[in-house]
Amino acid sequence: MTRWGMVIDVGRCIGCQACTVACKVENLSPVDAWYAPVVEYEVGEYPDARMSYLPTLCNHCTDAPCVTACPSGALRRRDDGIVLADEDRCIGSRACMAACPYGALHLFEEASGEVLGDGSRGRPSLLEPYTAAGRIPGTVSKCTYCAHRIDFGTANGLMPGVDPLATPVCVVTCPAECRIFGDLDDPDSRVSRYTAERGPREVLRPDAQTGATTAYVGLS
Amino acid sequence: MSAPVTAAPLPQNVFMDRWVLGPKTQRVWGLNHAIWFTLMGIGGGVFLVGRAFDVTTELGRVLGLPLVDVVSFVLIAIGGVVLIADLGRPLQAWRAFRNVKASWISWGAWADLVFLTFGGLLMLPDLEIGDSTPFSGLGWESEADGAGSVMLVLASIAAVVVMLYAGAVLARPRSIPYWHSVAVPFQFLASSLAMATATVLVLVVLDGDDVTSGQAVTLAVLSAALAVSMLLHLTTDKEAPGKKESIDRLVRGSSRTTFLFVSLLAGTALPALLALVAAAAGGARNALVVVALPLLVVGGFLLRLDTLKAGIYPPVTMPSVPARRTRG
Repeated sequence: MTRWGMVIDVGRCIGCQACTVACKVENLSPVDAWYAPVVEYEVGEYPDARMSYLPTLCNHCTDAPCVTACPSGALRRRDDGIVLADEDRCIGSRACMAACPYGALHLFEEASGEVLGDGSRGRPSLLEPYTAAGRIPGTVSKCTYCAHRIDFGTANGLMPGVDPLATPVCVVTCPAECRIFGDLDDPDSRVSRYTAERGPREVLRPDAQTGATTAYVGLS
Repeated sequence: MSAPVTAAPLPQNVFMDRWVLGPKTQRVWGLNHAIWFTLMGIGGGVFLVGRAFDVTTELGRVLGLPLVDVVSFVLIAIGGVVLIADLGRPLQAWRAFRNVKASWISWGAWADLVFLTFGGLLMLPDLEIGDSTPFSGLGWESEADGAGSVMLVLASIAAVVVMLYAGAVLARPRSIPYWHSVAVPFQFLASSLAMATATVLVLVVLDGDDVTSGQAVTLAVLSAALAVSMLLHLTTDKEAPGKKESIDRLVRGSSRTTFLFVSLLAGTALPALLALVAAAAGGARNALVVVALPLLVVGGFLLRLDTLKAGIYPPVTMPSVPARRTRG
């Protein structure tokens, strides 16, 4: 059984936000919704302080609290482990947003699509690119691990995590190669080998017991 | 003497503001949810407490229907409308019934439906339109007969879920430590029952009857249980990441006045004291209970609102604390 997952080597991240922007372009995420932001934080104390970077995205949890909380069944976990939001089924209760410990879900509000840079309200036509792409105002969306690329790749004999066209765009774009993607159940996959060599594998918010498939190396 | 030097405001860095590691306050649920939680809590409780005190049929009627039940239905219906209006897609609200395997909101939606259906059917034979009672020929005459008693049991179970589920929605996920506690649904349940008890007792007073000592003691016990639960929740695991920030907000921060002084002291502890005094002092009992009602309602509403506002996620990782290592 295939179980897609990602390992992020925090020590390699240079904080360029290329993954953040590439994700935005690939998925046309709504205004104000960033599926894969790189969080900045300071470690150490002056004079030995330095900035560190934490690439984030949906953790595609095995025991996903968003799936449990959603009253309408709009969130589901595929057999390959990818957690998807179905905007057609979403009623906008935001229960998933409250339940997610990682802040990985985003509400596409009609108003937020119209906010201009100076904070004023813009023309409703600013919504058009999003609604034309199938975004429904009032619904929640999230990172899909670029499921469309994975599905395209597997249907065309490509290997996700190896072939760029079949791999999440944040992984492909990263100049420092800090994101490694692949089949967690395949001991010979890049992601499994990387974890074995560079481990240990760590997760965010371990207290939340979500069974995250997005994991980190060098977090602590 | 030179003018004081003031620093010019720094330009906002959107990236730094948004994506900095640290505790984050939830902003998805707020005022509308507090209104919904409060109305449904009182509504479900009034239905049960009226029957527990055996006063449902004695406290006046509206269109032939027991006033207690009408109050219960109106409050739950308004709460439901507030809930639906707050959805991102209100016209798709029916989909909330789908995930009964896991979601407490789905359970709550079903409980609302069951309550309104069976509670409504239960009182339908009593409905008067003009001089006629068009549904009096239905198969159930009262709650005592077979069909009526089944409906009463179903509506009562649903009323309990209606009071409980809002707290369960918050308590189930582990994302927000302050919410992830049995204390939250317990507080919502105790608060709902206390507000409902005071509401029914005020209806008793308005009907010209006297509140009994036992009824006042019930109100005192419910209010005291709520106050104790609030205090215990504030004093346990108070250093846990996320919960520490929640407690800081409630006890020392922006919610100090509304939570600590209004909700806990004036809205919970004081009504408990008033009800206790009322139980002992026969002469002023009715007046004390009437005073307790608005205190409890305001306190109960602020309990819910401040609980929502105190929903704080701890940082996703803390560099100074090694993350737990897991197997690959």
